[in-house]
Amino acid sequence: MQETFTEVKTNISEPTLAFKGKGSELFSIQIVNIALMLVTLGLYYPWAKAKNLHYIYRKTELAGSPFTFHGTGKEMFIGFIKGIGILAVLYGVLLYGIFNMTPEDMGIYFICLAIFMVGLSLLVPMALHGMMRYRTSRTSWRGIHMGYRGKLGSMYKVFYLNMFLTMITFGIYGAWFTTNLRKEIIGNMRFGNARFSYTGDGGDLLILHIKGYFLTIVTLGIYSFWWAKDLINFYINNILIEQDGKYSRLDSSLTGWQNLKLTLGNLLIMVFTLGLGYSWVVTRTMHTIIHNCVILGEFNPDMLAQTEEEYKNATFEDMADMLDIGLV
Amino acid sequence: MFEGKFYNGRTSKGMPAFIKLEPNYISISWRADDESGNELWHLDQIHTTEFNDNTTVLEYGGFPRQSIAVFEQGFKEALEVKYRGARFIRSKYDSFQKTGVRGLVVGGLSLLVVAVVLFFWGVPALAEKAASHFPVSYERAMGEKLHNQFMHGQKVDSAKTVALQQYLGALNIESDFPIQVTVVKNDMVNAFALPGGFIVVHDAIIDEMENHEELAGLLGHEIGHVQLRHSTKAIARSLSYYMLLSVLFGDVSGIAAVILDNASTFHNLEYSRKAETESDKAGLELLSMNGLNPKGMVWLMERLQTESPEFLKFISTHPNTDDRIKEIERQMKNTSYSSESNPVLEAAWKKLKE
Repeated sequence: MQETFTEVKTNISEPTLAFKGKGSELFSIQIVNIALMLVTLGLYYPWAKAKNLHYIYRKTELAGSPFTFHGTGKEMFIGFIKGIGILAVLYGVLLYGIFNMTPEDMGIYFICLAIFMVGLSLLVPMALHGMMRYRTSRTSWRGIHMGYRGKLGSMYKVFYLNMFLTMITFGIYGAWFTTNLRKEIIGNMRFGNARFSYTGDGGDLLILHIKGYFLTIVTLGIYSFWWAKDLINFYINNILIEQDGKYSRLDSSLTGWQNLKLTLGNLLIMVFTLGLGYSWVVTRTMHTIIHNCVILGEFNPDMLAQTEEEYKNATFEDMADMLDIGLV
Repeated sequence: MFEGKFYNGRTSKGMPAFIKLEPNYISISWRADDESGNELWHLDQIHTTEFNDNTTVLEYGGFPRQSIAVFEQGFKEALEVKYRGARFIRSKYDSFQKTGVRGLVVGGLSLLVVAVVLFFWGVPALAEKAASHFPVSYERAMGEKLHNQFMHGQKVDSAKTVALQQYLGALNIESDFPIQVTVVKNDMVNAFALPGGFIVVHDAIIDEMENHEELAGLLGHEIGHVQLRHSTKAIARSLSYYMLLSVLFGDVSGIAAVILDNASTFHNLEYSRKAETESDKAGLELLSMNGLNPKGMVWLMERLQTESPEFLKFISTHPNTDDRIKEIERQMKNTSYSSESNPVLEAAWKKLKE
């Protein structure tokens, strides 16, 4: 066999990001998903979710190569069942309290409510941690897996300390809560031998919130699209990537107008299709966010090395959904 | 032979590669700057892939997976010809997409129809079915809790409660639940039933009444609610709506949910009007069972006649009173019996009016 490699160039890939998904393709997946979920009374949900994620990841490209989501419906189903079990017990305790209290004796209700609240607040950090571990381990690009190195103990510490400070400052510290939690989560993310970190400052976020709040009132709500844009950009622009001692960062150029068009468009699609257009909402959103996002710096997508071990545990993947934690 | 990139699973560097499709395996010859190699991929260890991309990506083996990416058109077709029926080219995704725009539109619309049918008939019917199989003791316990909570802070008219209980005792009734009536001091002309047989009557409505047949009709109406388990069914219905919404939209909260939620409220109002009509019928039946004048039901309606205007019918929980009276009179025509006086009931009625 005669082999010639002269025509194949070994160019360095540019670290460009792209989203190639189409609403119609996603719709053709979701229509089957919804039908199967109806037939199985919702039990198909983990498989439906896996199919969705497979598609979204596969259509998201870095340097021309797609991401891959390796998670399976079966893995997530086991997590889903465990999650439902834990939540059912918690809600059972709460309902027990509601049904067994009397106006004269509210004690039982408050005890059950306390158990419920404590249980729920124990679950949130655990769900975040479990979801990050599972989701990153199931994400790969050119065969290189992402990973999450965070410790559950440290997640609890960050979560409760910041929650406490947020409560005693009547919510003002909430901005630092957000940035510190992102520092903990993103700071523990790996992409092969590249490490992520988050540099957002709570003070800056608080200023964005104050500015957004007052300008939204003054402009009768119109500024809210710019406020939301600022929050998205604040999230993305503060993500740093360190690779072999060199730093690069993500940069989002999303504008208020773009965000206004995106949000109003999504709203109209949802209303006029009675929710059936949700697939287009997803692809439009992904498209807008990712096409405004670039990697600035010396990130070299050809120089990533595999560092992660194999990990399979999907217990908290769906728990995060059930608790409605929309973080990543 | 196809040109592509080979990724070895250890680094992200794409190595230029030539890919050859052999009968039982794929052969990959790759070359990087200073090294080169040859890989043989056995078909059974190639992972299932999706093909609707310009780039075809194949993954191989255990963790960490090797992969190839081929940008050349025709690679996908060559794979399908060469390895027809192999596991890794059996796509699970695009089956529906192959139907084209028409298939998607038809599929989407039929899904919408199925959802609407389920939403307005299927799920509520199932929920009601489930509710009617709740154990009587459970419903009684639930009603007792609700009753205790409700009675907190209410002023009970004990004398009238005793009298009403006597009146009830003298009536011939049919119910799965022990009926417990309580008269509370309240100026609103009203009465209602809780699950499990607890009926609360405001003293104002008794003061308004002129004939005891009206009271019998009212009790019949409320016992009808209890017996037909309207409250329990209503709770099951609204719970079922939320469950259906979460199934349909998964983690999508927001607009669609709000729209459907409002739709369910309107539908529930219509349901509750249907429930009132059913209970009116039950009231009429109680009068007939006890040989009381069926006119009692019409008189009762006249007491309840409020000034709520006709156009509010659509958003009201009760049907328009004139409509109720018409319906009752229609049913009265179908029943004929001679009403007689009942001294025990009349004695209890006198005590109530004292």
